[in-house]
Amino acid sequence: MSLLERKLARDVGRRRWQFVAIVVTVLLGVALFGASYDAYQNLLASYQAVFDRTHFATLTVQGGNPDRVAAALADDPGVAAVQPRSVADLPLRIGDAALVAQVVGLPADRRASVNDVLVLSGDYLRADDPNGVLVERHVADHFGLSAGDSLELRLPSGWTRLTVRGIAASAEYIWPARSRQEVLTLPDQFGVLFAPQAMLNALPPAATIPQVAVRYRGPADDPSVTARLVNAALAAGATSTFTQAEQPSNAALQEDINGFGELSLLFPLLFLGAAALAAYVLLSRLVGQQRAQIGLLLAVGYDPRRLFLHYLGFGVAIGLLGASIGAALGLALAGVITTIYTGVIAIPITIVQIRPTSVLLGLAFGVVAGAAGALAPALRAARLSPAAAMAGPTIAGHGGESLLERVVTPLRRLPARWKLVLRGIGRAPLRSVSTAVGVVLAVTLVFVSWAMLDTVQLLLERQFDEAQRADATLSLAGAATPAALAEINAVSGVAGAEPVAQLPVTIEHAGQRYATALIAFPLPTSMHAFLMASGSSELPATGILVGTALESQLDLAAGDEVTLAFTGLDRDSRVRVAGFVDEPLGTYAYGSLPQLAQLIGSEAAGAATSGVNVRIAPGAERDAVLARLRDLDGVAVVTDLHALQHVAQSLMGLFYAFVGAMLVLGAVMAFAMLFNVMSANIGERLTELASLRASGMSGRQLSLLITAENVMLTVAGIVPGLLVGYVAAAAFMASFSSDLFSFDLRVRPTTFLFSAVGVLLAALVSQLPIFAAVRRIDIAQVVRERAG
Amino acid sequence: MGGPLVVLDRLSKRYGEGAVTVDAVREVSLAIGSGEFVVVLGPSGSGKTTLLNIIGGIEQPTSGDVNVDGTDLAGLDGGELTAYRRGTLGFVFQFFNLVPTLTARENVQLVAELDGPDAEQRSVEALRSVGLEDRLDHFPGALSGGQQQRVAIARALVNRPPLLLCDEPTGSLDLAMGRQVLALLRQATGDGRTVLTVTHNAAIAAMADRVVRMGSGRLVEDRAVTEPIPADQVSW
Repeated sequence: MSLLERKLARDVGRRRWQFVAIVVTVLLGVALFGASYDAYQNLLASYQAVFDRTHFATLTVQGGNPDRVAAALADDPGVAAVQPRSVADLPLRIGDAALVAQVVGLPADRRASVNDVLVLSGDYLRADDPNGVLVERHVADHFGLSAGDSLELRLPSGWTRLTVRGIAASAEYIWPARSRQEVLTLPDQFGVLFAPQAMLNALPPAATIPQVAVRYRGPADDPSVTARLVNAALAAGATSTFTQAEQPSNAALQEDINGFGELSLLFPLLFLGAAALAAYVLLSRLVGQQRAQIGLLLAVGYDPRRLFLHYLGFGVAIGLLGASIGAALGLALAGVITTIYTGVIAIPITIVQIRPTSVLLGLAFGVVAGAAGALAPALRAARLSPAAAMAGPTIAGHGGESLLERVVTPLRRLPARWKLVLRGIGRAPLRSVSTAVGVVLAVTLVFVSWAMLDTVQLLLERQFDEAQRADATLSLAGAATPAALAEINAVSGVAGAEPVAQLPVTIEHAGQRYATALIAFPLPTSMHAFLMASGSSELPATGILVGTALESQLDLAAGDEVTLAFTGLDRDSRVRVAGFVDEPLGTYAYGSLPQLAQLIGSEAAGAATSGVNVRIAPGAERDAVLARLRDLDGVAVVTDLHALQHVAQSLMGLFYAFVGAMLVLGAVMAFAMLFNVMSANIGERLTELASLRASGMSGRQLSLLITAENVMLTVAGIVPGLLVGYVAAAAFMASFSSDLFSFDLRVRPTTFLFSAVGVLLAALVSQLPIFAAVRRIDIAQVVRERAG
Repeated sequence: MGGPLVVLDRLSKRYGEGAVTVDAVREVSLAIGSGEFVVVLGPSGSGKTTLLNIIGGIEQPTSGDVNVDGTDLAGLDGGELTAYRRGTLGFVFQFFNLVPTLTARENVQLVAELDGPDAEQRSVEALRSVGLEDRLDHFPGALSGGQQQRVAIARALVNRPPLLLCDEPTGSLDLAMGRQVLALLRQATGDGRTVLTVTHNAAIAAMADRVVRMGSGRLVEDRAVTEPIPADQVSW
């Protein structure tokens, strides 16, 4: 070990707690990067493995005659395989429970060439078992189903007994989304069955959605192949298409794990930025303190480049140490997060890999953060003039009123001790700015996390308390006739019942298509409030309302005419868009029942109106009312519209844990930053402080003044931190927004307050070691060292 | 001259433990009266600064008693020592130790505020008494070394302590500035205040009422000066 290296080691030893604080900050940054980035990569790899094993469709075509559409696409050179099939949503009974089943047709005599399933237990379908089905794992797990169990499906012939042949997983239902409009489902209200295609062929055409699943030879995101196939499919009679990226389950999962991707950059950047600032503060102080030593070394012939590397090495050592531990921790955390996530989502294949590139990237980030912090002080050391450096210490700080005193002149009348506080901030301007920036980073970390929680909570309230006014939706076996409505209204505890129709539809405008559902209510309706950006609106008598996401997606404006292609009816109609609704979940089209009748004819509209929205009387026992409704003869399924809200609310616990963790991390960041700055400040002003102690100022008074300075610096960082946090949170949430979810940032006023108070508390805690340092000031030793 | 203000009885101070120990002060007994100007002389390592620090309550003796203005320092805890320093002492150091971000007036006021009302007025008076009435709002960086030391003296005197402890007060100054400072210290004894100055500069002894010489931690000489010279005649 060279003498300079030994000196480096001893310098580190003398400032071990400041060193540790920065190492921990780097460690957290690199660990967060490793954990989130590797978890993101692991999840992508896990999904891809499922996609590959099941030949997940690259493109899905809906509408038209599936055999004709399949034939039109099969010969395209970009197509590896096509699979025609049908999908239908039908009432399902499992024991006493009634739910909606999405029944997906599969060839019973062979495996599907596209969108196959993974049979997790039991056997695949058989041609000689027309009533044997596969149950998708989410609903199977919820009801404890296994091969050999039976269930009942409502077919045109009535309730039909089916046998479970096996439990299956599918790339299409890793996240069991019913559609892009209903991404969030509950296993006791929605499940997926894979049935022989022959069973779906026997259903009336209006009850099914014909589909052709297509798999490309090349990459899934080849736009030229997609454009060619979409044109060919539409020419062959199809009404809509969606790509693999747009497939409901995949789109929802991608939105979710993209969050990991963004977090893997945003949060580590905050920590590494804070670590770089803290390293800068520590190294600047060290170089300032060692001016005479540096001057001596330069005077006796040390190469300035060597001194530059010496001080740069301090930053690199901090970065390397923190990054090494952080990378190892990140690897372990990535494995844990992946396993927990794939377990919660029920991904059938979990891939946890160690990626040398992410370890190396983590190490590089840490080293770069440490080196970036050390760069300016190291350059300063190398450029020192030996004569000036050895001439003695420079005065720490300079005279002059603080900016605050110049602006707020009454402050000039403050007692001298408070002027000491105000002007202390200006003594080392770069250090103070570094501290404030560190606080900005900490506040941003806390605020963004808290704002995410607020946004989700407030959007759930907007969806379930403001937009949705019904408590349950009933799916009837037939049409919602006045007699059926009267029977439902007569049920004890029912405060109101209205018919409702829901039809799959593709909206077309300016050459763009969007597949969704048209929901038609009576005019007026009391079961839904149509929330617009400017407030609430009534359902229009003519025209339809559509989700605001379609403004950009279909290049729409209010008043435009669009084409509605009713997928199951093989019918197109033109209608005016009356306005845009701004709802958090899904992108629907809303219209009135008379408007629907006008679009598809009274007979078809009457047949499609097979749902009933129900409101439960205040004070009525909710579960008992729902049970009474289930017992009605004509009711196939009762969907509790608040169950999803309750589940979502219960999941808030996870969000609270997340925000709590971020609060702790933000506090650690603020602590590390402020501790380092105050340690440097005290070290620099030791003789002044000792002199004040000798003059009769108590340790408590000194601590109070130092705390006041610290609090002012923290407050100076908190205000811009809240602004930066708001902008970052808005950008972060906007990146999640799509036609599936509308995540407009909504922040409660208390979140600003609590974020500020949280970081301020961390700042106050960072004072504790400083108080101890003030108490420990050895006045005599300081005076003696200075004198000597 | 009044009765003894400072009484040291068999005072010793040992640093370190085991084999590596240094006896900085050994069995020093001394009584210093009110209004005396005492210079403690000695080479580097003679124990003079340690002696000053013990009287100032910023170091604890290993053995022996210290009594200042009727207060036995041995029985005082941290808070009481702070109060003792606030009420009884003024400190002047070689390197002034002024706060660079406060003006001359504010530096003095910072200590004056520890002792009740009229801090600003008393600070101005203290600075006027050291001849800096035209430098009240100057920051330390804009003052000469001698002026900075005069601010430090004003700061030490602003609360009218009965005892002024000075550690090499002229150590960083040239002769002219040193004489100004010494004159102020002499002037400070005028209202009965005791000034105890430690220095290695033997020339200063000529203006003292009493000279105490230390060597290797022991008191080797304690003599009265029969005809102290004025500060402006001190030369080194």
